[in-house]
Amino acid sequence: MLNFEFPGGIKIDNPYPIERVEIIQAPLPTSVVLPLQQRIGEEAKPCVKVGDRVLTGQVIAQTEDAFCVPIHASISGTVSAIDKQLIPHKSGLKSTCISIDSDGKDEWISEQGCGQDFLHCDRQTMIDYIQKSGIVGLGGAGFPSHTKLSKAFDCHTLIINGTECEPGIMCDDALMQHHAREVIRGVEILLHITGAQKAIIAIEDDKHEAYQSLLMFNHNARISIQQLPTKYTSGAEKLLIKALLSIEIPSGGFAADSGVVCQNVSSTKAIYDAVIDQRPLVSRIVTVTGNALSPINVEVRLGASFEHIINLTDVNNKAHDYRMGGMMMGVDIDTIHMPICKITNCIFVNNKTQKHIAQECIRCNSCNPVCPIGLLPQQLYWHAKSENVEKCIDYSLMDCIECACCSYVCPSHIDLVSYFSFAKALCKKQTAEQHKIDIARERFEFREYRLERNKQERAEMMAAKKQALKEKMAKDKDKNQEQKDKIAQAMARVKKSKEDNA
Amino acid sequence: MHSTGLNTNQIMRQVIYALVLGVSVSYVFFGWGVIIQILLGVTSALVVESVILAVRGRQILDSISDGSAALTAILLAISIPAIAPWWVVVVGVAFAIVFGKQLYGGLGNNPFNPAMLGYAFLLISYPLQMTTWPIDFLSFSQASEVVFNLLNFDGLSGATRLDDVKTNLSLGNDLSTLHLHSVSQAWINIGFLLGGIYLLARKIIAWHIPLAFLLGIVIMALLISIFDSQQHLPAQNHLILGGTMLGAFFIATDPVSASTTPKGRLIYGFLIGVLVVIIRTYGNYPEGIAFAVLLMNMTVPLIDYYTQPKVFGR
Repeated sequence: MLNFEFPGGIKIDNPYPIERVEIIQAPLPTSVVLPLQQRIGEEAKPCVKVGDRVLTGQVIAQTEDAFCVPIHASISGTVSAIDKQLIPHKSGLKSTCISIDSDGKDEWISEQGCGQDFLHCDRQTMIDYIQKSGIVGLGGAGFPSHTKLSKAFDCHTLIINGTECEPGIMCDDALMQHHAREVIRGVEILLHITGAQKAIIAIEDDKHEAYQSLLMFNHNARISIQQLPTKYTSGAEKLLIKALLSIEIPSGGFAADSGVVCQNVSSTKAIYDAVIDQRPLVSRIVTVTGNALSPINVEVRLGASFEHIINLTDVNNKAHDYRMGGMMMGVDIDTIHMPICKITNCIFVNNKTQKHIAQECIRCNSCNPVCPIGLLPQQLYWHAKSENVEKCIDYSLMDCIECACCSYVCPSHIDLVSYFSFAKALCKKQTAEQHKIDIARERFEFREYRLERNKQERAEMMAAKKQALKEKMAKDKDKNQEQKDKIAQAMARVKKSKEDNA
Repeated sequence: MHSTGLNTNQIMRQVIYALVLGVSVSYVFFGWGVIIQILLGVTSALVVESVILAVRGRQILDSISDGSAALTAILLAISIPAIAPWWVVVVGVAFAIVFGKQLYGGLGNNPFNPAMLGYAFLLISYPLQMTTWPIDFLSFSQASEVVFNLLNFDGLSGATRLDDVKTNLSLGNDLSTLHLHSVSQAWINIGFLLGGIYLLARKIIAWHIPLAFLLGIVIMALLISIFDSQQHLPAQNHLILGGTMLGAFFIATDPVSASTTPKGRLIYGFLIGVLVVIIRTYGNYPEGIAFAVLLMNMTVPLIDYYTQPKVFGR
């Protein structure tokens, strides 16, 4: 019997719950900033120039990387700049972006998708539409959906992740409550693409309204809606699969290898839009929450600034701490003059507080029981701090999903997960360097071997030639002798006949 | 983002609160000496810790206020006899803080339990002072006179209970003639047991080490008594004599020097229990907890390495 459980994790209630989860349509922004660098893969190349007029949904940057998706204008207007701007990334670095000034008309480019009767389309057409529409995982990972789907050939189960990855975020909850029909249709499209026999929509048991509205629209026997106990990290793909199917994806493996495909519920709705209407992904729902305002869920165009939607709330005018992403895995940010991108699921606006000062680790091991992966964070911390890459790998650092459960429970307020992401980067670098060294060594060794082999071959060849020459000479000698003998015989014959004649 | 649970300073304080009951019982039987030793110990701990932090160029106030030095001092002070001369606890605490903790890098970096390191140091250096306990309740003036060497304490003291038992056993006296159920020791142990249960209930310590520790004591004592029931203490007496409960709930559970993995904690606790009984039975010293804990502290890296929990997907 399945108990829908995985080890570790923490039960955390939504810190700022609201009575009724609505979706507010944000007004059209006056300008948008669209970064060309996506979560994974190479930077897209702009296919518009400054001053060009663009329509909503028009492709403004393309990439040849099959892994990536094109970038679409999210409003109609004029391209005002293509330059480096601050993007929402934990590095705090600038990256090339296309800025568009709105003309206020929001004119859409006209495209046609498969239409409501999508069953006659083949899977590749649909996957193409999904790629062309720029669909990526909207849960926060930003993994391109078409890449995941084109790998899913032998898939038995499709999992739709509606667990809302972190406490406080409500955007998926809002989407399931208000777009249940599109979600269910999206699941049907995904069933068609993957060929899976069944689909499970996973939803946490504190989202009653969302559960009810999905139930109401679901008339497909192949789709089931499964409630899970509310526990943080249940949104992590591998843990969700473990909880739902009792399948443990091996370390370093992919869900697809075990015949499972996972898609976020918001991505599923975006896939519906992409396949039915070939409507590109130009907006998303963002939760704005925190103790400095009353939380809201806003549907907003991509590229609008954080400030644009924070201004829609009743935010107080004290000093604030800002954070993008969830309260656990999110990143603290200094400015709200940054564009909303596809993975911006939540913005926290909190009244400024004193940060906790970290104390020494007392090895209390509160962190191990909450780790969903079963790591020993306290030992990893020791090794990460001393930059002992070998030991870190020994203690399975690379399996860490950086969920921050350990940091959350640490009585010494140590930001463990920061140490881990640093050590992970270090491990990757070292592994890459080791790889390079290995390649160089192999190449050197092969060269040595080749030179040695050439030398030997040449020596053998010489020896063989010598031998052949010798043999030839010996043969020639024999032949000469033979000829001499023959001549001698002939001479003897001639002599004889002469004598006879004489 | 951090949980609203206890922080490190609060954890240290909770452990100190949990000691109050056992210390009170101890006070009832031995009098003011107990309190004087604790005050002496804590004061010297704070002074020594401040000095060494200053030498190391660290923030003094932050480290002092974490309560760990005070906790070490209290644990050591209640382990030594209530009428030991004042310099015993001062030297012991100084050794514990300097050599047991700060020289390794301060809180969290010490491989040995500092309090037990201090105790072992004292026991080896001053065996007489470390094994002479008061036999009656001492008033504040009596106790302070004894502790500060103003009064000869011969008439007020006797050997420790376990020492007494051992001497009598070695003389060939029958166990039944001895007043084995030393009332004071039993009550003090119950006091610390209740304090330990409080810590368990507040989830400040995990159950693994105390349970395995007590189990180790019982199993080893039973094994020994199978071979020689006349000459050795029965298991139930091991549980209520000496520092058993203090050791099980407050000393072996020191997170810094103990094993951290769930399986490792069971092994660690169990082997301490086993060693305690072996040292009590065959060793030269009456009490074995300090040595058992220190010996097992050494094995912690090994235990931790071989008891890593299963990693997801591996």
